[in-house]
Amino acid sequence: MKKSIGDNMIPKDWGLERGLELIKKAGFDGIELWLGDVPWFQMATTDAQVRELRRKVESAGLVVSNVSTGLHWASPLSARDPAIRAQAARIVERQIETATLLGTDAILVVAGLVTEEVPYNEVYQRCVEALKPLGEKAARAGVKIGCENCNSEQRFLLSPREFAQFLNDINSSAVGLHLDVGNIHDTGFAEQWIEIHGPRITRIHLKDVLKHRGRSGDQSVYTNLFLGDNNWPAIRAAMTKVGYDGWLIAEMEARYRYAPDQQFYDTAQAMDRLISGRF
Amino acid sequence: MDMTRREFLGYSAGGLSVMGFRLPTSTPAAPVAWKLNKWRAFGISEECMIPESRRGYDAVIPEERRRFDPSDTGDAVRCCSLVILPSLLFLTPPFAELFTGCMNRGTTVIVESGAGFTSHRTFRRHRRELREGLQISVAAPVDLWSKGSTAPYVEYTWPRRAKVRDFSRVVPPGEQPGEIIAWAGDLPVAFKRRVGAGTLIYLGSPLGPALWAGDVEARRWLFAVALAA
Repeated sequence: MKKSIGDNMIPKDWGLERGLELIKKAGFDGIELWLGDVPWFQMATTDAQVRELRRKVESAGLVVSNVSTGLHWASPLSARDPAIRAQAARIVERQIETATLLGTDAILVVAGLVTEEVPYNEVYQRCVEALKPLGEKAARAGVKIGCENCNSEQRFLLSPREFAQFLNDINSSAVGLHLDVGNIHDTGFAEQWIEIHGPRITRIHLKDVLKHRGRSGDQSVYTNLFLGDNNWPAIRAAMTKVGYDGWLIAEMEARYRYAPDQQFYDTAQAMDRLISGRF
Repeated sequence: MDMTRREFLGYSAGGLSVMGFRLPTSTPAAPVAWKLNKWRAFGISEECMIPESRRGYDAVIPEERRRFDPSDTGDAVRCCSLVILPSLLFLTPPFAELFTGCMNRGTTVIVESGAGFTSHRTFRRHRRELREGLQISVAAPVDLWSKGSTAPYVEYTWPRRAKVRDFSRVVPPGEQPGEIIAWAGDLPVAFKRRVGAGTLIYLGSPLGPALWAGDVEARRWLFAVALAA
């Protein structure tokens, strides 16, 4: 297994080059690039600039683990407005294009967003319909679309079996699950998601979760690895059972208040413990 | 939904009868009289403004009862008892004449506005073509959710009561002759009026997406219109 961390974790005032240096020094193998979250990787970033981005990553001794984005929270594939939906599809297409340019084979997509206004049945069908052609595009590019389980935030696809049905309905080998083991909260257990989805898992996001906080308060439900309620030995065992040997990507919501670089070292070491199974 | 088995069978049988299906029976079915006995969803444009609306009608209307070919303006449309224009955006004069002729002969035409999410410029053309073509007056789109949470339903009062999810944007009917048949809160959303021997039904909130999402109430409402046509 290889370790990665998002470029959106790089302290704002550090810049990309210094951030890459830190990520490498902390012991990571790769970097997750967040389209739209950081100044160096936007929708308007040209192909030439993306190639230059790849050169910088590789010069630092890293590779790109995957291309993620948070842009679908504002522009979901499930929007009723056709113009927003078209923009959402364009974001996925750009992710596929840039993944190819960056030499990676996986992207993260937040597939749909259930709201008071846009109900579940609509979101489900719209996402399936949108992801079928996008899956074909991804397959042609040799890229896999990983739909992230943002269970509580999306209020969508809350159980692993329902998620499996969703993927069955899309019926594309290029569309799978980008599993976030911290996002399951109190609606289930990450290790069970791993067992059910096995080979359909494209990438795994790592963070821990404080289940007792819930999502209704003003405190973050997420925390650093081993501080929360995830059953890490069970998660590690499930990875072994299904033969997952891919990228593990750290995704921390809260940053260290002081010595922000220390979070990278601590996280990398915790991931090493997880990978080696030494609890 | 609180639909009894009896109601379900009644509406299903009614809907299927209108569509010309043979119903389960111990005696041979009588030949179907085709004159004004078909109903069709008819797309003027291949590019629907709200594609899920057309798909909704696709989902509930049997294949032989729907036609989306824009070139099919002949007898196939003229002999229908019910014609549906899903998420309509533009209505050119030849189509307006065609549908007016249909209504004069007794057809019910459902005009479902697809202009809720369009630009101001596109909406102005939509409004003008509806006014000039079918004498339908519409007001500017209303975003039902712009002021936060609301009861997300359109309440139909004719031909049966039905509660169907709104579709965020409504193109309300303006002041004109006819009977209001649906409301979103206190906002009128749909009306009907006689045109010749037929009926014009205008829907300012698209029904198709609710059909597409599997809303039983929406389907029952549509079948009730088909029975009334």
